[in-house]
Amino acid sequence: MTVFKTFWKVVKRYKGTIIGFTLMLVIFGSINMSSNDVTSSFKETKPDIIIVNNDNTILADGLVSYFKENANIIDVKNTERAIDDAIFYRDASYVIYIPDGYEDNILNGGNGNIEIKSSGDYTSNLAEMLLTRYIKAIKVLSKEYSDKTTLLSKVNNALDENSKVELTTKINTTELSRLSRYYNFASYTLIAVILFIICLVLSSFNKETTRKRIVVSSMDYKKHNKYILIASSLYSIFVVILYTILAFIIFGSLTFTERGLLYILNTFIFSFVALCMALFISTLVKNKEAVSGIVNVVALSQAFLCGAFIPVVWLPESVIKIAHVLPAYWYINTNDFLAELEVLSFTNLKPIWINMLILIIFAIIFIILNNIASRKKMVL
Amino acid sequence: MFIHNFKYSLKVLFRNKSLIFWTFIFPILLGTFFHMAFKDIENNETFHAFDIAVVNSPYYENNTIFKKAINEASKESDNKLFNVKVVNKKDASKMLENKEITGYLEFSNSDVNIIINDNGIYETILKFFVDEVNSNKKIIENTVNEEISKGNLDYQMVISNVMEKLNETVEFKNISRSNLSYTMIEYYTLIAMAALYGGAISMYIINKNMPNMSSVGKRNSTAPIPKSTLLLSGLLASLVVQITGLILLFIYTIFILKIDYNSNIWLIALLAVVGSLAGLSLGCIIGTILKTNENAKSGILIAVTMFLSFLSGMMGITMKYVIDKNIPILNMINPAAMITDGFYALYYYGFESRYIFNILSLIVFSLIMLLISSISLRRQKYDSI
Repeated sequence: MTVFKTFWKVVKRYKGTIIGFTLMLVIFGSINMSSNDVTSSFKETKPDIIIVNNDNTILADGLVSYFKENANIIDVKNTERAIDDAIFYRDASYVIYIPDGYEDNILNGGNGNIEIKSSGDYTSNLAEMLLTRYIKAIKVLSKEYSDKTTLLSKVNNALDENSKVELTTKINTTELSRLSRYYNFASYTLIAVILFIICLVLSSFNKETTRKRIVVSSMDYKKHNKYILIASSLYSIFVVILYTILAFIIFGSLTFTERGLLYILNTFIFSFVALCMALFISTLVKNKEAVSGIVNVVALSQAFLCGAFIPVVWLPESVIKIAHVLPAYWYINTNDFLAELEVLSFTNLKPIWINMLILIIFAIIFIILNNIASRKKMVL
Repeated sequence: MFIHNFKYSLKVLFRNKSLIFWTFIFPILLGTFFHMAFKDIENNETFHAFDIAVVNSPYYENNTIFKKAINEASKESDNKLFNVKVVNKKDASKMLENKEITGYLEFSNSDVNIIINDNGIYETILKFFVDEVNSNKKIIENTVNEEISKGNLDYQMVISNVMEKLNETVEFKNISRSNLSYTMIEYYTLIAMAALYGGAISMYIINKNMPNMSSVGKRNSTAPIPKSTLLLSGLLASLVVQITGLILLFIYTIFILKIDYNSNIWLIALLAVVGSLAGLSLGCIIGTILKTNENAKSGILIAVTMFLSFLSGMMGITMKYVIDKNIPILNMINPAAMITDGFYALYYYGFESRYIFNILSLIVFSLIMLLISSISLRRQKYDSI
């Protein structure tokens, strides 16, 4: 029991680290909470734009109000600096400058002399499409209607098309992808917290004086190792439970649906892999300072290359290939799969069972490596 | 004596494996991860023609307006919207299920139905396309009605005129700045982080000179040498180590990762050096002011550095923008943000006042930190026990 208690005593000393990583999970794992709409029908993406209106006319106001309907108008200070910053940081993807004389130019058959700034991403394309469509419509219809108010209402009427859209998915993809992003990010904090703490605790046990003290004690080394193993397993379970509770606080009942339970099972298996990895690393590395370096590299490499920070679909092919040799890849793959799977059934879930099996194989490999490494250490 | 201490400080620093790892190797590793993960991210965010399907039916075959519009939009050109496949309904829904297509169009008697599986930008663009064709139909109807009411009965002519106008390309004058790659900020924060990690080096040197921290400190304090000589030579050695680390980082990012810093390399180097000075001074102040053990000090230093880097956008550039926009004062006193913002200004706006302001802020910050540290170090006495 002394060993067991000591383990937790050391864990307690590092609670700052655990809290730090957990806070990170809460902040980054649940980011984008603002787009919190439950959608069972189609929701159009609206580009974020800035409009600088220098033409105080009816037609210019008409253009502004059209964009108020069809885009999100971003409010920034009206200085070029603020606008340029907004474009760079993608606060807005498109800026429309309506020049003085826009109305006259349009009525005379021109394009309005509009100037634009664009961030070059796809939402800026959408904004440009909206603008082009509007300018074309107003150019054509201005030939027919001389009264500006009638012209605007005819343009708005012509552009007010709402085609029928059928969304085939029955699952709430937005909610699920958020949950899956939470768990994906958790792969990083989980590895970091489990590896960090277990390696640090075990390295305290391995300090030369402590080690000698343990060796001369009357306790059998097998019993000692058993306690360490139980304590570290309990610790990993504690971390998974903590993260599940946090998921419940953030996502509510979704956490404990059938799908949610699969996420938890997956996380549980992954934490087991992390535990085995931690035991292996702590056998290899006895030095406390080296521990933090190695843990950071192991945790960050998996986070960057396997999709914990950046969604897998955005990673280059070559990186994904490399990621196959890292356990976090298989964990995240399951999460992403679960977020998109329409119907849950045993056969449908086959890829998940395979991923879990691969994770268990990883764990077994770490156990074997650990045995080999510790045997070598014994000989030395 | 200055040179003697400088030499030994350098030796001590270069032999400290953990310091060398964090200041030399860790930023390079992190840079490699950034490079691997961010390589495609901006490319993914630009528009690419996407795949759709159309359900083959007599309704589609007879809908000449849509057929023409779809052909036009899927033609190889700069304005190509999508690749289209005409298939039967079963195949279309299978393709949608397998995510081979963004969505498909199904035509009925007078209407068209858009079937999609998700909410997103490409789905929106598909809907936009269908809306636009319908709007164009309306515009043509409106125009024809107006022209007929005005007595112009040649509606074929009117239609072809309007169609021509609707198909014209409308160009807008693009006055965006170049250099819009926002992943650059990540590399800037990386350099900022590496510069601030210099704090660990200077703190190590300070600890070596403080009698309450180590036996070497006790030995140094009893030596008949002015404190200033000891400290300045130690700090100079730290700066040398720090700059060596930064040079390695620059060489690695420029020549191996092929990062295009896209402006005067000397101005970048100047900012990096001034940034390192700020990092060193941060380490000094934490090392001198806090009266606690070495581990606690380095824990606090890392926490402070991480927090400052976080505010300056290391874990997502939005953070820097949000603070710049809402609480600008916070980033004006944050050395990590000064470094990042200096690089950003240089990259985006070129060499001008914003860059110079950041350089000056960093110098002022370093001087204040060093001043406070030296005041707290002066005339330290230890009671006889």
